Amino acid sequence: MRLAKSGTRLHTITPQLEPGAPSDLDLMQGIQAGDPDALSQLYDRYNGILKALILRVIHNEAEADDLLQEIFMEIWNQAKNFSAQKGKPLGWMVTLARRRAIDGLRKKQAYQRAEERFQNETEQQPDAWVHNSTDEEIVLSDTRALIQKVIRGLPLAQQQAIDLAFFRGMSQREIAAKTNTPLGTVKTRLELGLKKIYDGLKELKDEL
Amino acid sequence: MNFSEFQNQARLYVIGALEPEELEKFEKAREKFGKKGEDFITKCYALHEAFALSLRPAKASTAIKDRLMAMVKAKKEP
Repeated sequence: MRLAKSGTRLHTITPQLEPGAPSDLDLMQGIQAGDPDALSQLYDRYNGILKALILRVIHNEAEADDLLQEIFMEIWNQAKNFSAQKGKPLGWMVTLARRRAIDGLRKKQAYQRAEERFQNETEQQPDAWVHNSTDEEIVLSDTRALIQKVIRGLPLAQQQAIDLAFFRGMSQREIAAKTNTPLGTVKTRLELGLKKIYDGLKELKDEL
Repeated sequence: MNFSEFQNQARLYVIGALEPEELEKFEKAREKFGKKGEDFITKCYALHEAFALSLRPAKASTAIKDRLMAMVKAKKEP
């Protein structure tokens, strides 16, 4: 995977495809046309990334698998609502998967249990954005390593605030309460951290 | 709200981290900045991709794809 160069979307990140392979947009258009093979290919391309995202939110392997299936079914059913004008297929799928995972977390009332697991993980690895990776593993993926480099360049407090907002769906007030931090400080951490990541992705893209 | 402040809010908006009172102001600014604002919000969604790609891919059960494709094919059949 590489950070792709594009004219207007400075921060676009896409997997590198084999020559002749259909683009994500081709596959989305195939799904919109009702082609199951297009969904099959999109699943093969992104199930690992989406499963990791879901797992990061709900921390339960079986529930993550079930949710992954539901999300790809939703991709099939809702493909007509995808518009290339509003973003790329991966961004649309990640947004959909994240929303469903956070909804699932709350609906299944597993929040407290996941919170406890998350708390344990945080205590064991306070500086880990990716709870189950090592430096050696990170090297195995160019894109992941580059993004990790940007994220890990942030102060821990900013990483934590963004982690809680993105992967836990917490509001600023909830983060403030959980971390016993003033609301204004949480807001500043989120703003600064997200800006640094946004700018960092732009710089990485320019380097490649 | 100037555009720089709008940009800061847009990055919070795409991850759903704006508080209700901020969201109201953001929506007003969004109308004010029009296409320029919408274009920036679209770019901000790249943060979602980045956060997902920052994770090590997880292997899904092979049965999941089989079930998914069976459901899709069943749905397509009259």
